Amino acid sequence: MKITMRVLFLLLYICIFVSVLAGILAQLYLHMHLFFWWEEIPVFSAVYGFVGCVVIIVASKALGHRWLQKEEDYYEKR
Amino acid sequence: MIEWIHPGFIYIFGAFLVPFLKGRERLKQVYVLLLPTLAFVTLILMSKGVLLSEGKTWIVTFMGYELILGRIDLLSMVFAYVFVIASFCMFLYSIHIKEDWQHVAALVYIGSTLGVVFAGDLLTLFFFWEMMACASLFIVWYGKTKSASSAGFRYIMVHSFGGVCLLAGVLIHLQNGGSLAFDSFTWGIGSEYLGIYLILLAFLINVAVPPLGAWLADAYPEASVTGAVFLTAFTTKSAVYVLIRGFPGVEMLIWLGAIMALYGVVFAVLENDIRRLLAYHIISQVGYMVCGVGMGVFGTAAGEMAINGSTAHAFSHILYKAVLFMGMGAVIEVTGRRKLTELGGIYKYMPITFWLYMIGAFSISGFPLFNGFISKTMVVYASGMWGYSTIWLMLELASVGTFLHTGLKLPWGVWFARDTPVCEAREPPLNMLAAMGLTGFLCVLLGVYPKILYNILPYPVHYEPYGAGHVIAMCQLLVFTFVAFWMLRDKLHGTPTITLDTDWFYRLPGKWVIRFCKGPLMAFASFMDRNVMKLAGFFVWFSKNPFAALKIKGEETRLKMEKPIAASEEAVKHERDLEEIRKRQPEREPMVRLNIGTAMLLVLLLIAVYLIAMLIHGWLVT
Repeated sequence: MKITMRVLFLLLYICIFVSVLAGILAQLYLHMHLFFWWEEIPVFSAVYGFVGCVVIIVASKALGHRWLQKEEDYYEKR
Repeated sequence: MIEWIHPGFIYIFGAFLVPFLKGRERLKQVYVLLLPTLAFVTLILMSKGVLLSEGKTWIVTFMGYELILGRIDLLSMVFAYVFVIASFCMFLYSIHIKEDWQHVAALVYIGSTLGVVFAGDLLTLFFFWEMMACASLFIVWYGKTKSASSAGFRYIMVHSFGGVCLLAGVLIHLQNGGSLAFDSFTWGIGSEYLGIYLILLAFLINVAVPPLGAWLADAYPEASVTGAVFLTAFTTKSAVYVLIRGFPGVEMLIWLGAIMALYGVVFAVLENDIRRLLAYHIISQVGYMVCGVGMGVFGTAAGEMAINGSTAHAFSHILYKAVLFMGMGAVIEVTGRRKLTELGGIYKYMPITFWLYMIGAFSISGFPLFNGFISKTMVVYASGMWGYSTIWLMLELASVGTFLHTGLKLPWGVWFARDTPVCEAREPPLNMLAAMGLTGFLCVLLGVYPKILYNILPYPVHYEPYGAGHVIAMCQLLVFTFVAFWMLRDKLHGTPTITLDTDWFYRLPGKWVIRFCKGPLMAFASFMDRNVMKLAGFFVWFSKNPFAALKIKGEETRLKMEKPIAASEEAVKHERDLEEIRKRQPEREPMVRLNIGTAMLLVLLLIAVYLIAMLIHGWLVT
C-alpha cells in the first residue's frame, strides 16, 4: 500500500509538471486557434481547474448547510 | 416486399412474447438479446438502402390524418443507433432478473422511444411520448419499495402534466394554422405562439431543465438496479432529440443549458445517495446538449458545430452514463447499500467493477481518448465560435465539477475512503461485468476513433478533437481538479442528509393540500351534502302529492299550536289522524338507489355503444 501510494504520487507530480510544461511550450511554439484572451495565459486551464474545484466545493457546501440539506426523514415527518 | 419494419415495433410487439417464455430462462435470455440485435440489423439495412432509407418517410393513414410513423434522416438515424446499441448492453446487464414484466416494461419503453425518434408528425410524437412515460413508470415501480412507489406517482404526475402540455400545444398549434408536421417551429413572441410555447414546455420537462427537472433525481435512483440503467438513457435523450428537431437556435436554451450544467454539479456535491448523485450528473450533462441546441442556428458553421456537438454528446452520454449506473448498480447489488455514508473500502472485493466504472468516469469527465472528450468539447468549441465567453466559462466549470464527483468523490467514497471495508462484497454476476465491459469498450472505441461517430452526425464535421491545444488544456484542467480534490477530500465525505430540490414544491405543499382536502374541505363537503340531500329528499316527498303534503304540513303546524291549549286526549287523537295521513305518503319508498360508480359505468357504456354505432355508421356510409 505504502509503495503504491508513493508511485501514484510520483505519477501525479509528473502529470502536473508535464501538463504545465506542455501548456507553456504549446503557447510559445504552436499557433493555436483561440477564441478568448484568457486562453493565451499558458496555465489558465490549470488555475481554472484548481480554483473552480475549490469554488464548487465551498459554494455548494455553504448552500447545502445553510439551506438545502435536511435530515433524511424530512418529507416523512411533515 | 416489406417496405419497412419500424425498429420500435420490434421492441413493442416483441415485448409481449416475453411472458410466454416463463420457465425457459435460457431461451428468454437469448430472446431478450435477440430483439435489439434484430433492430440493429434493421437499422443497418436501412443505412444500406435495403429497407426504407434516409430521406424517406413511412406514412399510415388513420382517421383522415396522414401519420408519419417513419421519418428517416441523419438525425433520427444517429439517435436510433445509439438507443438500439445501448439497449443491447442494458439487456445484457439485466438478463439475469426473473421478473418478466420488468423486461416487458423496458422493451415497451425503448420501443416507444424509437417511435418518438422516427415520428414525423406531432400526433405520432404525442402517442409515443405518452407511451414512453407510462412504460418508464413501471420501471420505477419495479424498485418495489415504498419510496419507489411514491416516487413513481410523483414521476407520472409530472410526466402527465408534460403530456397534457404537449397535447394542448399541438392542438393550439393546429388551431392557429400550424402544420401537423414535426419540423423546426417558427419561434417568436406573442399569443399566436402559445401552442409552440406549450410544446417547448413539454420538451423542457422531459429534458429535466430546472426548475422542472426534479422528477429525474427523484425517481431514477428509486428504480431497481437494472431498471435504473434503462431509465438513464431514453427519456432525457429523446427529449434532446425533439429539441434539436423542433427548437434549434432558440437563444433561451443556451442559458438554460449552461445553468443546468452547473445546477447538476452543485446538487451532486450535496448528495449522499450514490445513484442520485449520478442522476444529478445526467441533468448536468444534458445541460451541454441543451446549450448546444440553443446555439444551433441553421446554416451557420457554429450552429452546425453546436448541433453536431449536442448529437454526439447525447450518443456518448448514453453509453458512459450506462456504464456509471451499471457500476453503482453492481455495488448496490452486492452490498445492498446505496449511501456514501454506508460504503467505503470495498475496492479489494471488486476491483474489476471499479476499473470498469472508471472507464465511464473518465469518459464523462472528458479525458482524452474517451468518448466524452470528443463530444463535449464540440459544444464548448461551438460556444467559442459564437463568442459566448460566459457560457464557455460555465461549461468548463461544469467539466471540473463532473470530474470532481463522478470521477473522484464517488469512486473514492465507495471503494476507498476507509482503511477497513465497511462490509463484505464480491464482484457482481458475470453478465453485469460483461455488459459494463462491452459498454466501456464502446466508450473507448469512440474516444480513440471519433470518426466512427463523426461520420454519422447530421452535418459534416469540421472539428479535430485531438488538437494539441484541446488536449493540453483538458489535461491541465483535470489534473488540477484532482489536486484540489485531494487537498479538500476530507470535506467531501457524504453526510446522512437529503437535499431539497424543486420537487419540494409538490411534495410538501402537495401534502398540505391533501391534508386540507381531507380535513376542513371534506367536513364542509359532507355538511353541504347532508343538507342538500335533505332538501332534495323533501322536494321528492313533497312533489309526490303536493296537496297531501301541504295538508300534512298544515296539520302539523295546527297540532303544534293546539297542543298547549287543547285537552290531551284530543291532541292524541289528532296526532293519530296525522299519522294515518303520513302513512299514505311515506317518506322513504322501496326504490333501488345505485351508487355513483355504477351510474358512471352505465354512462360510459352508453357512450361506448354510441361511439361504436357512430363508427359502424361511418363505415357503412363510406
